Amino acid sequence: MKEKVLTEHFGLENLYKIDVYQKQGGYRATEKALKKMKPEEILEEVKKANLRGRGGAGFPAGVKWSFVPDTDKPKYLCVNADEGEPGTFKDRYIMSHNPHMLIEGIIITSFCVGISVAFIYIRGEYEAIALRLEQAISEAYEKGFLGKNILESGFDLDVFVHRGAGAYICGEETALLESLEGKRGNPRLKPPFPASVGLFQCPTVINNVETISNISHIILNGAEWFIKQGLPKDGGTRIFGVSGMVKNPGIYELPLGTSLKDIIFKHAGGMKEGKKLKAVIPGGMSAPILTADEINIKMDFDSLVEANSMLGSAGIIVIDDKTSILDVLKVVTKFYSHESCGQCTPCRIGNSWINKIVKRIAEGKGKKEDIDSILRLASNIEGNTLCPLGDAAAMPILSITKKFRKELESHL
Amino acid sequence: MQEKTNEMIKIFIDKEPVDAEEGTTVLKAAERAGIHIPHLCYHPAFPPEGSCRMCLVEIEGFPKLELACSTVVKEEMKISTKSERVVEARKAVLEFLLAEHPLDCPICDKAGDCKLQDYYDEYGLFESQFKEAKEKREKKLKIGKSLILDQERCILCTRCVRFLKEVTKTQDLGVFHRGVHSSVNIYEGASVENNYSGNLAEICPVGAITDEDFRFKTRSWFLKEGESICPLCSRGCNILIEYHPGFSRFELPKRVYRIKARENPEVNGFWICDRGRYGYSYLDERRADQIIMNKKEGENELTCENISRHLGEKIKNLSSARKTSGIALILHTWLSNEELFLLHEIFKNDLKVEKIFFADLPDGEADGFLLTSEPSPNRRGAQEIGFDIKTVDLGALADGTDFLLAFGPFLSGLFSSKDLRGALDKIKTKVLFSSNSNELNSLFDVVIPVALIAEKEGSLTNVEGIVQGFQPVLEPPGESLPEWKVLSDLGKELGMDSKFYSEFTSPEAILSEMGKKIPFFKKKND
Ligand SMILES: Cc1cc2nc3c(=O)[nH]c(=O)nc-3n(C[C@H](O)[C@H](O)[C@H](O)COP(=O)(O)O)c2cc1C
Ligand code: SF4
Repeated sequence: MKEKVLTEHFGLENLYKIDVYQKQGGYRATEKALKKMKPEEILEEVKKANLRGRGGAGFPAGVKWSFVPDTDKPKYLCVNADEGEPGTFKDRYIMSHNPHMLIEGIIITSFCVGISVAFIYIRGEYEAIALRLEQAISEAYEKGFLGKNILESGFDLDVFVHRGAGAYICGEETALLESLEGKRGNPRLKPPFPASVGLFQCPTVINNVETISNISHIILNGAEWFIKQGLPKDGGTRIFGVSGMVKNPGIYELPLGTSLKDIIFKHAGGMKEGKKLKAVIPGGMSAPILTADEINIKMDFDSLVEANSMLGSAGIIVIDDKTSILDVLKVVTKFYSHESCGQCTPCRIGNSWINKIVKRIAEGKGKKEDIDSILRLASNIEGNTLCPLGDAAAMPILSITKKFRKELESHL
Repeated sequence: MQEKTNEMIKIFIDKEPVDAEEGTTVLKAAERAGIHIPHLCYHPAFPPEGSCRMCLVEIEGFPKLELACSTVVKEEMKISTKSERVVEARKAVLEFLLAEHPLDCPICDKAGDCKLQDYYDEYGLFESQFKEAKEKREKKLKIGKSLILDQERCILCTRCVRFLKEVTKTQDLGVFHRGVHSSVNIYEGASVENNYSGNLAEICPVGAITDEDFRFKTRSWFLKEGESICPLCSRGCNILIEYHPGFSRFELPKRVYRIKARENPEVNGFWICDRGRYGYSYLDERRADQIIMNKKEGENELTCENISRHLGEKIKNLSSARKTSGIALILHTWLSNEELFLLHEIFKNDLKVEKIFFADLPDGEADGFLLTSEPSPNRRGAQEIGFDIKTVDLGALADGTDFLLAFGPFLSGLFSSKDLRGALDKIKTKVLFSSNSNELNSLFDVVIPVALIAEKEGSLTNVEGIVQGFQPVLEPPGESLPEWKVLSDLGKELGMDSKFYSEFTSPEAILSEMGKKIPFFKKKND
């Protein structure tokens, strides 16, 4: 039986308070992990659960943790709560409805990896949520779930909330580290990867809010149960954020592997009155676009890769037939051009150049060769940049331009 | 920083087997094998930045193109630096850079010397497809005592930002704004005032940071360069002197237009200080180029050729007691090891002269990095040769002296003209060897023009005891000639050990003789 994992108690009043959370069984996972399990056992369980990162790239969390070297240096956990990907609004629900679930995940992860300082890097605009997190953290300190010698296990942990300043790029894990260190949020060259050289040059685990929020459930119910909630290679559920021209936009927690068609037409109530489906961006704006004919597809990491798109942050943007694809392209190119950190050449100049072309087309001054130029420039960005933002920009631009070339040409 | 002797491994670059040091990067391994991989942001002084994306190469087994500047070599790695994919990617990077570049090469100091220009030439001379409006930025921002920043030409390699962060630690420049609006700028209220500011114009791979000292003065392709040693302090930084050979139809007011740093990991790394960079006017200004005779010397005209015979006769005419007490020397430490050695042999060892003084510029302040407090290049050499560096004492100098042999123009800065004249008037015969004219010219009987370090051959011993050779870059002006020549002729003339002196046909020969007599110079010479 598949069930809701993360959002199960979201309807409950005052769930964000520790007493209410504990009445629902909250912090039992923490007790189990710290009192009954060894760090290696936790790691084994998380690996077996095939919990793939919910931030975008879908990297298995347990494998990532196992890359942290055994050193005397301090180790850090950074929870990525920057939630900047357009069309993505799931982490905010988790943090505002159930902050203690995230804190539990942080405690268990830190215990497992040997971390004693954790940061939650939260999108600057989420001011109220940051306050809520801070309240929840202080409750957890009061109850002895944070601080020194947690539950008499000898394990210490401090958690800090750090608010970002509004740059999308600071959601990229290494830019996040720079920003957290008080610097300009420029992505770092990899390798070294943060697991070995991260925050303040120390080993660092970076995971998305939703990824970490799954941990307590895996500990309580086991990896086998977790896999049953989703797919063998892609355990658990996803919180799909559906926006755009559907009747009921919002978040839907569903098993990995749920069909995109069902999400749009069953769960989100189908298209708004009088609107017809034209295209879907299935995993946040960076994911390559799918046409209306391509939505008979399972929503999990591997199926979307097969369809030349990606599950990304699972933010589903539904586009109707009255929406001009040129407008979509304009929004997409403006966003990446604006959000490029500017560090590396192809992304800095390529995205701005493409955006300039698209704006010119929108002004009615398009030229015959413009479409080919967009394709050429985007391909020259793809794969050639310092951080994945270059690809994140090139992929949607290429897919939109290829799949809707005819419509774009009608504007020339 | 001697090159580490790591294990060598075999890699393949463009199908050719190449030995590479374990742990080195693809770019360095290629460079070592004589293969240049284009790069703009990478500079060997700093860790790889990876932002310009010019150094992308194809490596077998890697799906994407990889950075040569940061990828570490592995045994049997197969790297392609000029496959079609690589060339296309480089072209693309250049196309992007040039799209937002002002293309004002005709009025850019860097033209002819510019990496962006060179790579564009190498990678296809393609036509611009950019039909949009370029970003407007500041073209003439004064960012330091002598530096101008043109943000439109800037390609954001951030070498300047990193230099000020990692080398001078002054952090005056930063990248402001984001995306295509990113630009290098000076922090509010800051100015690049440190003693290393000139390095910024040098490490800028394009014409974004230009140096007012050079700006619009000439075109780089007219200039020739030669390797030399900076004589302005005892660090002995390795430099390149860039000079203009002149036009056939009219003369230029000067020869030297620019001094640049020359890499030497043991002495100065990649840098030189601003004192050394900008203090080159002595090479062209007020140069002594003709012998000056203020007192008639018998029947014969004195020339630079017969001067050693003349001096030899003067000395021979002195009784042996007068040789010791009647001769005085004023030396300085711009003289080479070889010259100081000959002086020591002739005057101290053979003639037993007691009155040997030094006239150098007064000590300054060290800056804690390269610049030392000693404003001349060879004080250590003089010490190792056996001189006791005593500053001139005018009273002691003139006391019972018949014959003064003085070197260098620096005496004039140490005393008032009145005091100098008072002391020198007491000495019957006085001869000056000087490269630059000043008031001393009228105080000596004879002034012989001599070559500067940039114009002769020899070696210097820096503050740390490193002996560094130098070769002439420029022609000595007019009649001037190197001191070592006059001194080895003088040694012969005096007939003290004619065999010894007659072998000194070059500074190299002198240095190797020095090695036999002074262990310090042997060690360094081996
Ligand atoms: C431009 C860019 C923006 C990103 N923004 C976010 C974000 O807002 N939140 C997030 O969790 N991950 C974001 N990521 C992904 C992170 O770099 C990183 O992969 C993720 O936080 C790892 O956590 P996970 O393995 O749990 O998914 C972004 C990546 C890129 C390239
Ligand atoms: S790809 Fe874009 S965002 Fe990423 S480092 Fe390069 S310029 Fe910055």
